[in-house]
Amino acid sequence: MGLQGKEREAFEKTLEPYVGIEIGIKEIGRDEINQAMIRHWCEALDNELPIYTDAEAAADSMHGEIVAPPTMLQAWILPGMEMATGEPDPNDKQKELHRLFDDVGYTGVVATNTEQEYNRYLKLGDRVKAVTVIETISEQKATGLGIGYFINTKTTFTDQNDEVVGSMTFRVLKFEPSQQPAAAPTDDSGAPAKPTRIRPALAHDNQWWWEGVQADKFLIQRCEDCGVLRHPPRPMCGECQSIRWDSVEATGQGEVYSYVVIHYPEVPGYEYPLAVAVVDLEEPGLRFVTNVVDCDPEDVHIGMKVEAEVREMDPDFKMVVFKPIA
Amino acid sequence: MSSVQYAETNVGDALPEQKIEVTSSLIVGGALASQDFTPVHHDRGAAQASGMQDVFMNILTTNGLCERFVTDWAGSDAQVRKVAIKLGTPNTPGETMTMTGTVLERNDADKTVVVELAGKNTWGNHVTGTITLALP
Amino acid sequence: MPTTLKDEAAIVGIGQTEFSKNSGRSELQLACEATAAAIKDAGLTPDDIDGMTTFTMDTSDEIEVARAVGIKDLTFFSRTPHGGGAAIGVMHQAVMAVATGSANYVVVYRSLNGRSGARYSEGVSGGPTTSDLIHWSWYMPSGLMTPASWVAMFTQRYMFETGCTSLDLAEICMAQREHAVNNPNAFFYQRPMTLEDHQTARKIVDPLRLYDCCQETDGGTACIVTTPERARDLDCGGAALIRSVAQGAGAEQESMTSFYRPTISSLPEMDLVAKQNWEISGLTPDDIDCAVIYDAFSSIVLWQLESFGFCKPGEAKDFIKDGALRLGGRLPSNTHGGQLSEAYIHGMNGVNEGVRLIRGTSSNQPAKNGHVLVTAGVGIPTSAMILGQLD
Repeated sequence: MGLQGKEREAFEKTLEPYVGIEIGIKEIGRDEINQAMIRHWCEALDNELPIYTDAEAAADSMHGEIVAPPTMLQAWILPGMEMATGEPDPNDKQKELHRLFDDVGYTGVVATNTEQEYNRYLKLGDRVKAVTVIETISEQKATGLGIGYFINTKTTFTDQNDEVVGSMTFRVLKFEPSQQPAAAPTDDSGAPAKPTRIRPALAHDNQWWWEGVQADKFLIQRCEDCGVLRHPPRPMCGECQSIRWDSVEATGQGEVYSYVVIHYPEVPGYEYPLAVAVVDLEEPGLRFVTNVVDCDPEDVHIGMKVEAEVREMDPDFKMVVFKPIA
Repeated sequence: MSSVQYAETNVGDALPEQKIEVTSSLIVGGALASQDFTPVHHDRGAAQASGMQDVFMNILTTNGLCERFVTDWAGSDAQVRKVAIKLGTPNTPGETMTMTGTVLERNDADKTVVVELAGKNTWGNHVTGTITLALP
Repeated sequence: MPTTLKDEAAIVGIGQTEFSKNSGRSELQLACEATAAAIKDAGLTPDDIDGMTTFTMDTSDEIEVARAVGIKDLTFFSRTPHGGGAAIGVMHQAVMAVATGSANYVVVYRSLNGRSGARYSEGVSGGPTTSDLIHWSWYMPSGLMTPASWVAMFTQRYMFETGCTSLDLAEICMAQREHAVNNPNAFFYQRPMTLEDHQTARKIVDPLRLYDCCQETDGGTACIVTTPERARDLDCGGAALIRSVAQGAGAEQESMTSFYRPTISSLPEMDLVAKQNWEISGLTPDDIDCAVIYDAFSSIVLWQLESFGFCKPGEAKDFIKDGALRLGGRLPSNTHGGQLSEAYIHGMNGVNEGVRLIRGTSSNQPAKNGHVLVTAGVGIPTSAMILGQLD
């Protein structure tokens, strides 16, 4: 729940001196803008735009000569190997600020936004340096990750003539993790598992129906005594109170009775926007809740004729879905 | 390589979709090419120690792939003016990131367009945002 | 002569915490603060309380709240299921308890960290394999797992059958926002909304957009129920007589997913609740001056207006279009801003607003306040009550 009351006031006071100050570490490009680093970047990212590596094509373009990809901006000032092996810079006010948060429980850190503006494209031979200022620290916020504070930094990039060539704002959330992160799901080989749809909970009254789907059957429960069909399955017939039942295969023909298109929240394992419909089945009085597939969700409409298909929606998991009748 | 002309664009135009295979090579190659040697982007052990399953893509590479997605469409005569992105789910090896985008705004005064884009993997949006570029 | 619940009880005290996105304290503490405030407002002490009731979804146990607040012997305690449908179900419990003498003074409470804690927008999931989980298992695999998605399904069909559009929903949202702008307790205090804001907000589950959906709030509320006789003797902030109260679950009822009825453009369970309220109280829709209509989503307000007979089935959009829900209209409603614009405390902040309307202390007080209708959640087994003036 984050710090509250007097503790929170006292903590927020300790943050104030950091707002507006330079972070204090040296950010000077160690090399001129050069073809080798540009080529390395373009190859790694598979960027084939000729203005970065082909002098002739670059000369013919509006740029007139070889330029560096604009999003490389920060690459010219990062310290490289030192980031893996070097000692932390004792002058780094940003790290100092993060430690203040760590000490009171806001141990999580995640970059949430970045924005870069480019005044001009950098050319071979240019040399950049940068100055970063801690611009703002937000109020305490409730976020999906937990309670925390957003820290905005702004970096201004200048060239060899001290002219501003671009800028970057960077937004980081320092937060109190709201719960222990769940162990990451993995498959048998230890590789990260792909998210899947939420599986039904199975128990006596519904397991037989889902087993039918996995065997490619779209079943409807039928009262063995009075013959009434019912869905979703229930253990007793509401018409004659019989507990004896069997099932029949549905014809799979139907018409959309109502539908929604889900945009939010996006749950891993599903594709969005996601169309879900209540379908009037051909069997009188029966409806079925299902995804409408094989068409643009925006094209689903009430009265649309649809037919069922048992489809593998995830590995090892089949569902009854409906698709438009051509 | 021909370039998209400002006059040819309309609000709502969709950019050609791209599917980017996220491999260890792309993640590590992008991190080192951007001089970002933070261990979690090239050392699986360090990434796992930080709670991730594997190395994950650094922000500069994400920025670079967004730029590439837009300039692959716009061509050599476009000038990228601004890239503003929001970060979402991490990109780890084995993911496929699908890039989609549409023209959100046109400004006749300076012949710039704003492209709204998203890069989505199986866990949701890795990146969403806008890129502003001037067109001939 | 069978006992009815006509004029058998009154609400004599109301209390609440502030409403926020991050309360910074436990749900139990919120429940205690609201309960203590309600007891004080009623002119009582914790010693007087001998009954407690809340939602099954509440995480604060009655006896834990009692110990913390200093409430001593309890002769009545109970819980009501079905989320927001319980909002007046708990009042029904309290009224029955005081009417039968099972308790003299009953606290009704509800608190939740609905934003900083468990959020309902994140949907249903796991738990033990109860019949309820099997029920959700018919919907989760296809992605239908949030309140917005269930309500949108009814809304789409209702729009198709009645010609209601998103612009009609906007009128509900804007009327309530206009109320919240004047209510210092509301999240949207002094923050008006235009039609364009409503229409351009992002889609949550088409046809519902962002402002058609209630908020997620941290906060707690409580109220005190006793008999009218005791109410008359109290030096309290003003008593609201409970003219009638009733619960209802309809035929072929499911929790939020009753998609299998012959029509899904009406609310049989709320029809049943309305019918009982009119029968018990002897009142008619013409006697109701203002209302608190449960509004987890904008569209559900329309269906309740039809259930209670303020207009004919399918005609709610016409009923509201000339400002009927606003101050000066036929039925000023959700004068606190509702759950769309004040706070979402599972309908219980609406109970407190109902009492304020009777007392004449609402931030948006209508001129006439003889009778106030207060309803609970929609699409589930539900409940409602009619409040009136105590002589």
